Amino acid sequence: MSENAIEIHDLVKKFGTLTAVNHVSFNIKKGEIFGLLGPNGAGKTTTINILLGLLQPTSGKVIVEGIDMQKNPVLAKGKVGIVTQETVVEPELTAEQNLMIFGRLYQIPSSELKEDIDFALDLADLKEFRNKLAGTFSGGMKRRLETAKALMHAPELLLLDEPTTGLDIQNRTRIWSLLRDINKKHNVTILLTTQYLEEADQLCNRIGIVDHGKLIALGTPTELRQKIGMSNVIEVSADKDNLQKVAAVFKKVDLEPQVLTNKVIAPTGSNAVGKVEALIKAITAAKVPISNISMHEPTIDDVFLKLTGSGARDTTGEYQGSARTALWRGRR
Amino acid sequence: MGLVKDTYTLFLREMLIFKKNYMSSILRSIMFPLIFILLLGSFGSTPKNVPIAVVNYDNGARALAFINLLQSGNGVQVVSSTTQQQAMTLLAQGTVAAVVVIPSGFSQAQETASSLYVYLDNSQPQSAEVASATVDSAADELGLTTSTSSVAGGLSKQGIISVITNYAYGASSNYLSFVIGGLLVMVASFGAVFSAGFTMLSDRDLGNMKAFLTTPINKFSILLGKIAYGTFQSAFSAYVGLAIGLLYGATIAAGLVGLIELIWIILLVGLGFSSMAIAIAAKLKQIQTYGLVAQTVVMPLAFLGGAFVPATLLPSFLLPIVAVNPETYAVNAVRDIMIKGSLPVATLLTTSIILGVFTIAMMSLALYFFSDTSKQI
Repeated sequence: MSENAIEIHDLVKKFGTLTAVNHVSFNIKKGEIFGLLGPNGAGKTTTINILLGLLQPTSGKVIVEGIDMQKNPVLAKGKVGIVTQETVVEPELTAEQNLMIFGRLYQIPSSELKEDIDFALDLADLKEFRNKLAGTFSGGMKRRLETAKALMHAPELLLLDEPTTGLDIQNRTRIWSLLRDINKKHNVTILLTTQYLEEADQLCNRIGIVDHGKLIALGTPTELRQKIGMSNVIEVSADKDNLQKVAAVFKKVDLEPQVLTNKVIAPTGSNAVGKVEALIKAITAAKVPISNISMHEPTIDDVFLKLTGSGARDTTGEYQGSARTALWRGRR
Repeated sequence: MGLVKDTYTLFLREMLIFKKNYMSSILRSIMFPLIFILLLGSFGSTPKNVPIAVVNYDNGARALAFINLLQSGNGVQVVSSTTQQQAMTLLAQGTVAAVVVIPSGFSQAQETASSLYVYLDNSQPQSAEVASATVDSAADELGLTTSTSSVAGGLSKQGIISVITNYAYGASSNYLSFVIGGLLVMVASFGAVFSAGFTMLSDRDLGNMKAFLTTPINKFSILLGKIAYGTFQSAFSAYVGLAIGLLYGATIAAGLVGLIELIWIILLVGLGFSSMAIAIAAKLKQIQTYGLVAQTVVMPLAFLGGAFVPATLLPSFLLPIVAVNPETYAVNAVRDIMIKGSLPVATLLTTSIILGVFTIAMMSLALYFFSDTSKQI
């Protein structure tokens, strides 16, 4: 038996002229919580869809729990639980009916079905809402119901496509603890995609970063942090015409500026406060009009800036837009 | 067997949703056939007490006997006019559907020389037909030979003495049974198209389709579950339609056996058209497009199947479509049962086979369109 829950071998997926997944290879070990990070249109969902057997790869292959997804999809699908980006609960059915239908589709024997429904409702903390229509649930409750639905058949692997997007912080933390719980207690391998660095950081043992269909970084959160530097990011907003002047001031105080559409940013390095102080003084001295100055912890944007290089950000926004359109066209 | 169980599970899901919304679900199933039958059934039914004007220039014994004969049934209501001109004015106004002129000397004349002049309002074909038939049967009873001719250069609405009794299905038929026979098949085909296909597309929009596809089931069971639900919905609508039709005055000439045969044929129509709906839905992306395409397919098929007029009356270039249209065979079988009074076993078998082949062809098409799952998520 392989010790990898997922093996992705040189995976390529093209939609017309757009390459959504571009020669990606990586493995996910059993028992891991693995985070796939990337902006919209980076190829995360496409990768997940291939792992689920919903899309056929252009080339390469995926092995799920030791089974080739292309060759034996029905067997492989039985080992996987999935929480999709769209919350899919049937609003016209009760929580119990939702679970019952999918329990049957996941081939749970009817003798065990009731027990498994109880287990799932308990897990999702929805016991008292058993006979309530799912349509009346809050976003967080629906997401928990869906997660429980995905776990009912005791899968070895759980795939979650942006499980916390659009949830408030209480519900997000609740989903996190639910995922940690099932990972530890039930030894379920978890692969999740997310746009939030913080989420991947809190939850995942390892993180893969994808952009433009390519895997651009892979490692533990600590390794990745070291890669981008733990430093904070300083950000100055100004009119378009003044951005170059602002960048020049950045250079004077030994900061490496990156000019975006309406702001200039730079990692502070160590001595963040000193750098900010020096920068404010220099801007005042240079009499460059600015609209805002701030400092924050690195976000996914900053990781990408660091990993994809300066200047990339400017065009990435546009590229993403067109890439998404192309992806959409390719699919329809 | 997995396929059967998974199909049942997906059908069960649809039924649970149906049950949850039972009021609107049932209302929808009833409204559709109800409105169709009440509207189209009345539209085509045989009118009674059609007003006709009689101008009696003769006043002889035979003329009076003739008028009495006209009044004996409830087909026409006789309005007396003193002059032909006055009667023609009434005809032109649409107050009467026909004018009968009894010329002077009608009672004395030799039988062969007797002429009744009848003017029919062609703009009210059903009423005119009743009037004409009543006049003909009265003339028949008096032993008059009737002939059809027309007056050149006369009023456009005129015709002279006529026998236009030419019912497609003989004197015992009524138009209501004729129309309802066609409507049942039409309701079944429409019901299929407007239930199965739409739920499939909305499931895809909501992401349910993706969820089904990630479960370890045979993909075909997703289609079969939808088809089963579509069949249920359409057959339910058509059975309600049958009940309404029977209450409204239609009859099943073939009796109880006929009723069972009707139930079977309607079920097959629902199955075939649900399969067709699913094939279209599997191919198309948008609900709006689906609605349009489904309409443009199912509506002409209903007309070309002879739901409203006998298919034999259609222009010859349409006949190939009539011949390959499964609805044609279903409608013919239903009419045989409801009007002619019996459906030979061979015909029932042929009809079943034709509808079965149609179903299998459409299921195959659906599966073919559905095979590329990337288009379904």
